[in-house]
Amino acid sequence: MAFVAGHSGAGKSTLLRLVALMDRPTRGQITVNDQNLAKTKARHVPRVRRSVGMVFQDHRLLMDRSVFANVALPLEIAGCTREEIGKRVRAALDKVGLLAREASPPVTLSAGEQQRVGIARAIVGKPPVLIADEPTGNLDPMLSAEIMNLFAEFGQVGTTVLVASHDLNLIKRMGKRVLVLDHGKLIDDFRPQTDNVVARSATITPPPLRSGGGQEVGAKQDAGRSSLPSRPEGTSA
Amino acid sequence: MNRRVAPAPAKPEKTVAPPPAPRAPARERPRARAWREHHSRSFRASLQRLAARPGATALTLLVMSLALCLPFLLWLLLDNARALGGHLDDARGIGVFLKPELDAATAKSLADTLRKRADVAEVAIRTPEEGLAEFRSQSGFADALKVLQGNPLPTVLIVTPKVVAAANRGAPAIVDELAHDPHVDQVQYDALWRQRLDAILAFTARLAGVLAVLLGLAALLVVGNTVRSDIAGRAEEISVMQLLGADRAFVRRPFLYTGLWYGALAGLVALLLIVGVEIALAGPLGQLTSSYGERFAIHGLSIAQALALFGASIVLGWLGAWIATTRQLSFGRPR
Repeated sequence: MAFVAGHSGAGKSTLLRLVALMDRPTRGQITVNDQNLAKTKARHVPRVRRSVGMVFQDHRLLMDRSVFANVALPLEIAGCTREEIGKRVRAALDKVGLLAREASPPVTLSAGEQQRVGIARAIVGKPPVLIADEPTGNLDPMLSAEIMNLFAEFGQVGTTVLVASHDLNLIKRMGKRVLVLDHGKLIDDFRPQTDNVVARSATITPPPLRSGGGQEVGAKQDAGRSSLPSRPEGTSA
Repeated sequence: MNRRVAPAPAKPEKTVAPPPAPRAPARERPRARAWREHHSRSFRASLQRLAARPGATALTLLVMSLALCLPFLLWLLLDNARALGGHLDDARGIGVFLKPELDAATAKSLADTLRKRADVAEVAIRTPEEGLAEFRSQSGFADALKVLQGNPLPTVLIVTPKVVAAANRGAPAIVDELAHDPHVDQVQYDALWRQRLDAILAFTARLAGVLAVLLGLAALLVVGNTVRSDIAGRAEEISVMQLLGADRAFVRRPFLYTGLWYGALAGLVALLLIVGVEIALAGPLGQLTSSYGERFAIHGLSIAQALALFGASIVLGWLGAWIATTRQLSFGRPR
């Protein structure tokens, strides 16, 4: 698990959008699950997206569907049968503590609950990579910590979690690796305390998002490594 | 597809490789079932969506069904006109007025020789007496006829030529030959108006075809436009689905079913409209056709025609939705 920090416009969202193939890099390479996203053909984009769970600041739930239907959507898309969907959706809702609300429409939930539904939707397909863009942006500090702890749990069971946030205080308390971006460049890479980084399988390879030969936005996360590697991959475009 | 259920960081070499091999064959059937389930879900959901806004749906259906039923009604009219034209084949008979001085035996032998000809289907003899009787009964000339001393009517042979392929082209050769026969006074053949009728029918058929194409296009656009605004209204949903990894077919499916429903329902409404028009016209048409006697009865839409209309409607609805989704669904950059 790692956090991406930085001011507005630092490139946090851009980085996550690139991982989810919402945007395409003009230069450089992004490798996720050993797959070079720059070379992914348009018709394979859906498949890549299915392997990345996404959580949004405004959660982007479909308000005309129940909580259950919202969480079930990724499984429907992935082509699961109804029984399988039922089982896995309930497991995901149970994990975020909202099993009792499965029939409710999202509007009847609080902001924190809605975000938890968003998280359940992101993890229900058990993607190897989970990314979240300002997931606590609309929440108060207590709810934010709760949500972040949820992400940390998923990081602990082997999912690569990448969370963009500008809430440095919260990030520091989490004690996970932090990548700090500024104007599209990696300016810092630190860990507030030692912790087990289980994150892996996501590799972001330089060159930087912006031009110039300055510091590179690059991070390779290794399985089971607790060190803070900031070594760029050899492949420069 | 690279999905891990319970990763074990301690043994990274075992995380990915083993699971897919045994799972692959068993996975195929659930996948097909999931696919079928999604289809049936889309099928039902799109109908529910139409039912959720009954006003807009009814308007779309009405416009579409009107566009569909108009060419069909014209075609139906044409079909009946053709049948009527067919009954008028009788009028093709060549009236051969023999010279009045000819006696019955000569007329009969002439009829027999004509019957033997290859290009003659039938020859009927109408004797002067029969002619007079018919005249009396039909035309109310009874009083005027009483004044006549003798029977001024000649013997008439009604010759029906065999219909040949190029019958409409002009008078058969026999008309000319009979005209030059010494026994014959006059030959009457109503070919010209018959040809005109055929031309009118052919023109109407073409008109119905052109109208069908134009109005079919209109139906297509009506569905396309409705689906287009539907897509615009569900932009957020589409965008979220794309972010969750939905491919083109998945996003498109519910809209195609929407088009299918529009087509099917509009087909039904169009059939109802046609039946309604038939009922509304039945009274006056009945009076008109009864004047033709028992030989001619108006016929409505057959089962096969109704099915054809229904099928065409469904195809148009589906196609309209397909065109709209192809144009409207962008797969580039979801928000």
